[in-house]
Amino acid sequence: MSSPSIVEDRGLRAWWSRSERKVVPYVFISPFYFLFIVFSVGPLFYALYLSLHRWPGTGPMRYVGLGNYTYLAGDPVFLKSLWNTVYYAIGAFLFILPLALVLALLINSTLIRIKSLFRIGYFLPILTSTVAATIMFLLIFNNEFGLINQGLASLGIPALKWLDEELVKISVLAVVTWRYTGINVLYFLTGLQSIPPELYEAAQVDGAGTWAQFRYITLPQLRPIALFVGVVTMIGSFQLFAEPMLLANGGPNDASLTIANYLYRMGFTNAKLGYGSAIGWVLALIIFGLSFIQLYLFGAFRKED
Amino acid sequence: MDNTQTRRAQRAIAYGFLFFTLISMATPFVWMLSNTFKEQSEIFERRPTLIPEEPHLRNYVSLFVDFDFHKHFLNSAFIAVVHTFSHLFLASLAGFAFAKYNFPLKNFLFLVLLGSMMVPLYTIFIPLFVLVIRLGLVNSYAGVIIPGVAGAFGIFFMKQSMEAVPGELLDSARIDGASEFRIYWQIALPLVRPSLAVLAVLAFMGSWNDFVWPLVVLRSRELQTLPVVMAGMVNLYRMEYGVVMAASLLSTLPILLLFLALQKQFVQGLTVGAVKS
Repeated sequence: MSSPSIVEDRGLRAWWSRSERKVVPYVFISPFYFLFIVFSVGPLFYALYLSLHRWPGTGPMRYVGLGNYTYLAGDPVFLKSLWNTVYYAIGAFLFILPLALVLALLINSTLIRIKSLFRIGYFLPILTSTVAATIMFLLIFNNEFGLINQGLASLGIPALKWLDEELVKISVLAVVTWRYTGINVLYFLTGLQSIPPELYEAAQVDGAGTWAQFRYITLPQLRPIALFVGVVTMIGSFQLFAEPMLLANGGPNDASLTIANYLYRMGFTNAKLGYGSAIGWVLALIIFGLSFIQLYLFGAFRKED
Repeated sequence: MDNTQTRRAQRAIAYGFLFFTLISMATPFVWMLSNTFKEQSEIFERRPTLIPEEPHLRNYVSLFVDFDFHKHFLNSAFIAVVHTFSHLFLASLAGFAFAKYNFPLKNFLFLVLLGSMMVPLYTIFIPLFVLVIRLGLVNSYAGVIIPGVAGAFGIFFMKQSMEAVPGELLDSARIDGASEFRIYWQIALPLVRPSLAVLAVLAFMGSWNDFVWPLVVLRSRELQTLPVVMAGMVNLYRMEYGVVMAASLLSTLPILLLFLALQKQFVQGLTVGAVKS
């Protein structure tokens, strides 16, 4: 009775020793694709499906077509969160990136000898969680006893309300700048160090000054790193969540609310899962669109000459 | 003579700016540390004191007694360790396959892998949560860990270093009759140990600091991780500042120590994306 199974077993073994090397790579990569399909692709399309419905999380869904999206276009709170998020993104590009570039240029220059102190010092904030980082700043920005206002008071300057409607976005940007400048310094340093020194030597032979060298060698050579930094900064800014939530709970009066905060509020606090999913898809389209524009502007799609 | 003077002035300005930035960045850390030793009334005082007038450890004690800090610390540590080892295993295994085998659809599958990094977290956030509920994984560590365990970045990163493993070594092991998995486990994996260390540091830090996903998955307090509990301690109207600062400080400590021990791996890990671009 058992003989057929032995034969079968032999056949299986022979088959396996013949084809192990063909099958095994698929086995090795399959966990990723399984998890990716279940936990990313599936939810991505399910989000699209949900966004066409009204659903409080339980009970039947009601098909509303593009209703969520048209409502979104006229929702003043969403538009406010969109504006706030754009404000943070622009602020990140205006504050973090130039500051990081200047710091990287200084550290990389021959003027500075103790480079690693600065590299490591600037790097430390990125090690903190967004939660811990934001909590630290509650002591800095507090309207009554915050460190900044105490400092201003000692100079005889009246206190500013850093967490009120007018200034809260600046305060959020300050936290973000504090946390992310260092990592961008490192990115720029990596880029600067990969520029071949011969380029500068040749330029010096030709009599190019410091500014000309910066303008015609450093900046063009930094292009790939600048593209990377730009895309990462943009994607990060559009997914800002913890800082405005913990610093001011998205307020006051939604003044610091981001798209991600609003999505969370709709999806989890207000149980409007369809509406929240629509916000998510709009966010994805914005991020894809802006990434594409950045890649296009930097000529990433152009064929190498 | 004039030239050296200009250079000296330039150097002074450069150092001045770098140190000013460094001090500004250090201030929140120092201020937080100082305030963990203060009484609430001293924090509220209008005259800032860097050295607390009556330093005490009551905030730290309260953190452990009233907020079960140690339990949440262990929750975070458990999740981060399990995440790190599973991620390292899956990423190195898939990276090995992409680097050392040729198989149909390989290039297409690799493109899909790279494309997967484009999916924004918040877009899939709500349906992912619904899915985790349906799978019965809500309020469990599995629900926190599993969806993010096989990151595409890790596979991409491991593929790069696996490519340096010499093919002759693998072939000679095959002649000796080793299975493909054993070749991966006993030959390839030990050779890429430095890259594994870099990825481990990244994975651990990512998981340790993760906030939004554990926030929605972990419903009951005793399961919650440090960032979630700390966020819950923030109350804009009534809050024990000293205790919250102590929590913030202690939660940052493990990563800080890890960084001091493995500085090179941190810097390499966090800039690897930029280099590869």
